[in-house]
Amino acid sequence: MATKDEILEALADYQVQCNNNQRLRRMQRDWSKLIHFNSEDTGDWFTMDVVKGEITAFEPGARGVPDIIVTTLSENLCDMFWGDLNPSQKYLDGEIKVKASQEDVMRLDAITMIIWPDV
Amino acid sequence: MSDLEGIKKQALKDFAEFVSPMKARTMKSAGLDIIEDRREGASVWDITGRKYIDCQTGSGIMNAGRHNREIIDALKDALDTYDIGVFLLCSRQKADLAKKLAEIAPGDLKCSIFGTGGGEANDAAIKLARGYTMKPEIIYAEKAYHGHTGFALSAIGRDAYKEPFEPLVPGFKMVPFGDAEAVRSAMTKNTAAVILEPIQGEGGINIPPDGYLQEVRAICDEHEALLILDEIQTGLARTGKMFASEHWGVVPDIMTVAKSLGGGIYPISATVFKEELMDFFIPHPFIHLSTFGGSDLGCIVALATIAYIEKHDLAGNAERMGRRFRVGFDRLLADYPDLLLEVRQKGLMMGLQYTNQSIGPRLTKKLAERGVIAVYTGNDPTICRFMPSLVITAEEVDFVLNALEESMRELSKEGGIGKND
Repeated sequence: MATKDEILEALADYQVQCNNNQRLRRMQRDWSKLIHFNSEDTGDWFTMDVVKGEITAFEPGARGVPDIIVTTLSENLCDMFWGDLNPSQKYLDGEIKVKASQEDVMRLDAITMIIWPDV
Repeated sequence: MSDLEGIKKQALKDFAEFVSPMKARTMKSAGLDIIEDRREGASVWDITGRKYIDCQTGSGIMNAGRHNREIIDALKDALDTYDIGVFLLCSRQKADLAKKLAEIAPGDLKCSIFGTGGGEANDAAIKLARGYTMKPEIIYAEKAYHGHTGFALSAIGRDAYKEPFEPLVPGFKMVPFGDAEAVRSAMTKNTAAVILEPIQGEGGINIPPDGYLQEVRAICDEHEALLILDEIQTGLARTGKMFASEHWGVVPDIMTVAKSLGGGIYPISATVFKEELMDFFIPHPFIHLSTFGGSDLGCIVALATIAYIEKHDLAGNAERMGRRFRVGFDRLLADYPDLLLEVRQKGLMMGLQYTNQSIGPRLTKKLAERGVIAVYTGNDPTICRFMPSLVITAEEVDFVLNALEESMRELSKEGGIGKND
């Protein structure tokens, strides 16, 4: 089980990885979303703002009306933000649940593919 | 690793590098990282020798079965004498196919122009409707799918396919599918045509309420607008009749046919229309051309495909095997209410509606693990589409149903399957 602080630390890394990747930024420049992450074993929620492909903010708690809700175990959240798991694989195994359009599910997976192509 | 596994791994790696990395990744995640090798009847074999019952069939390309020998022999014979042909010249093969299409098409549909794929056929249909009526507006349905080319793309009922390419062709109005009054409300004196699939394929195997198509036909007649029916997925015996519009006794002004017209062997499509619409092409015989559309070889393949469908009564088999599937689906519906909401079916055009959108992709993976290829629909991921070849046997139907039952049993033990997940 990962703590709230560990998840926030992983989110911070994820933000840096995403925002520093120019190819990803260019690819996602038409993508602006409010994303909620739900750590189902700890009950923690996190909110992430993506504006034109840039992660502009993240914070604990569930703010606003999300476009995307990702629900999974705290360990999976950390592994996803650190590039240690294939989110698409976990989604298809039922370990990660995503409430979103198919396009947005694909976009989330595309982020992992660009930053961690071997995952 | 065996040689074949090595060849497969390299093919997938090269596909990812030179064709589409995201497609390769998605297919792998879904358990569909299959490199097709042998194909026969309702089945396909991965290059490593694993057999699958193909219930995707390129969304209905393989009505006459995979790698159909009779159709291949017709093409081989043709290749001894012919090539594609010069599109500018008149062609006996085009004439023969147009005549055959007039024979099997509903009502008084008579003339044809040819293309290479469904989008091109629908482009031609919309151009013909606008040209003939000299009116600009086209009414289409939510969740509709008519192809990714210019005019057809404008008539797709899913924003994600269209937004990056806007502005699209103007004059297109979207209405809910199955609601004739919405069509009436959208009609103006400038409406050239209403374009519909008799049963929506990508939209989620949406079967319209009885009376809908008849009402739309009447509304079109009242407003001197044309009715275009896109039979690209539904046509050529898929639903238990040669064309789905026959279930409701509706004759369109223009009908488009593609996918299985090429027998899974050679790309060809047709836009079939009433003789009076030929009046548009008489002063403009060269206004819509296709270099490869209706090539001599393609027409020969299409004629062989239609002959096969008729000779082997594939419409009848679609009806019989459809009923067999239905018995199994109804059992699953009763046993797995947390997973399944509804069965949508006409012959072998079948869709299972799941309780939430994550089930479609997850079940696709579980089915692939059990030797069945079935994928959720493009415009509605809560619907898993089953469109096997119409040559499918009772044993193969049972194999698919058993794979579904096992997959659902396994899925029901996992989380995230309820309506609210």
